[in-house]
Amino acid sequence: MSTQLETDPLLVTLDQFQGPLDLLLHLIRKQDIDIFDIPIARITQQFLDAIADMGRFELERAGEFLEMAATLVRIKAQMLFPRKIDEEPDDPRADLVRRLLEYEHFREVARTLEGAERERVRFHAKGYFEQRPRAVKADVPLETDWSEVWAAVMMLVERFEEPEPGYRVESRPVRLDDKIEHISRLLDELTRVEFTQLVAPWGSRLHAVITLLACLELAKRHALRLRQAAPFAPLWVYRSEEHDAA
Amino acid sequence: MRRSRMIEALLFASEAPLTASDLTRVDETLDEEQIEGILAELKQEYETEERAFGLYEIAGGYQILTRPEYASVLERFDSVPLTNRLSPAALETLAIIAYRQPVGRAEVEEIRGVGAGGVLKTLLERNLVDVVGRGEGLGRPLLYGTTRYFLEHFGFRSLEELPRSDELAVILSEKTTDATEA
Repeated sequence: MSTQLETDPLLVTLDQFQGPLDLLLHLIRKQDIDIFDIPIARITQQFLDAIADMGRFELERAGEFLEMAATLVRIKAQMLFPRKIDEEPDDPRADLVRRLLEYEHFREVARTLEGAERERVRFHAKGYFEQRPRAVKADVPLETDWSEVWAAVMMLVERFEEPEPGYRVESRPVRLDDKIEHISRLLDELTRVEFTQLVAPWGSRLHAVITLLACLELAKRHALRLRQAAPFAPLWVYRSEEHDAA
Repeated sequence: MRRSRMIEALLFASEAPLTASDLTRVDETLDEEQIEGILAELKQEYETEERAFGLYEIAGGYQILTRPEYASVLERFDSVPLTNRLSPAALETLAIIAYRQPVGRAEVEEIRGVGAGGVLKTLLERNLVDVVGRGEGLGRPLLYGTTRYFLEHFGFRSLEELPRSDELAVILSEKTTDATEA
């Protein structure tokens, strides 16, 4: 029988089955076996072969298949026992057959449901696109998003566009730490300051960039808050509540 | 204001099916029969005008849904898996619960031949089944039944829309019926 299992229709992997009944039905139906006259010895052997390499399964699933294997072996044994002549010929397979048919019935219903579901997901109700969670402004500590920050940067780049230099001067390096300290000191006195005012005294692109980086760094440390009502609107730098507390 | 437009406004704003009796609340002078008439008109109107949406009967109510031929358009625009499709295990379990409700976990496990704890939990979480009572016997086991949302999920008007046993392709010859009853 094992050679037969290795041929195509009976070559199975347990993952493809919902459980032992599913596997058993597969073996029976694929071989066009009369379900009311199951050749128990043959099917039992095929079932055991199919579950032979089950070791990698979690215990619960393995148990379900082993329980069925035990049932099959018991039925096989019962069919070998000689019966008394006056005894009602009670087919030991009857209960298994009932279970198989019942299971097959519901498996068929499940397929109907699957078909209905496949059809249903093509109709969409209002709110379909709402499924994607949108960040609520209040949930975002920074109170701005990347596109707004980028818009502010672009505006600065345009504002401080340097004239074509006829000569080249090495700019003095601006240290991020100095900027951070400068902004922190400013916010000790002011509750809020507009971003361009932070840059105005120096007015170079490099200063603007370093100032923005300093603001972002301080926002990350929750030392200040950035607010911008709309893209291209003034970017306000606020003293944070934590800053107040400190 | 035309009555049909009032009904239309309610259906348009609702994300779940509304029943004819829900809809009577909009205008006390309308009864359910008149509402049904208006609904039929709206349905017809959307069809004749070839709107991208239609009026569909789901879970005993009415809902405006986009027509299936526009599904690919919506998905192309922004692919959001609205309904995670159910696993075969979940579908089998639901099939049993739908036909045998109220039914306990033991019977579900007996029919499928596998444990049902995990699947039942998922179905409960997704509001497809609910606890509808307790059975007799040891520990008074919980009994499960399908929910109204179950009908919505599969687009059924009512449980009656599930195939009858004798409509299924498989089995259920006379011999089978005997075996089942035995």
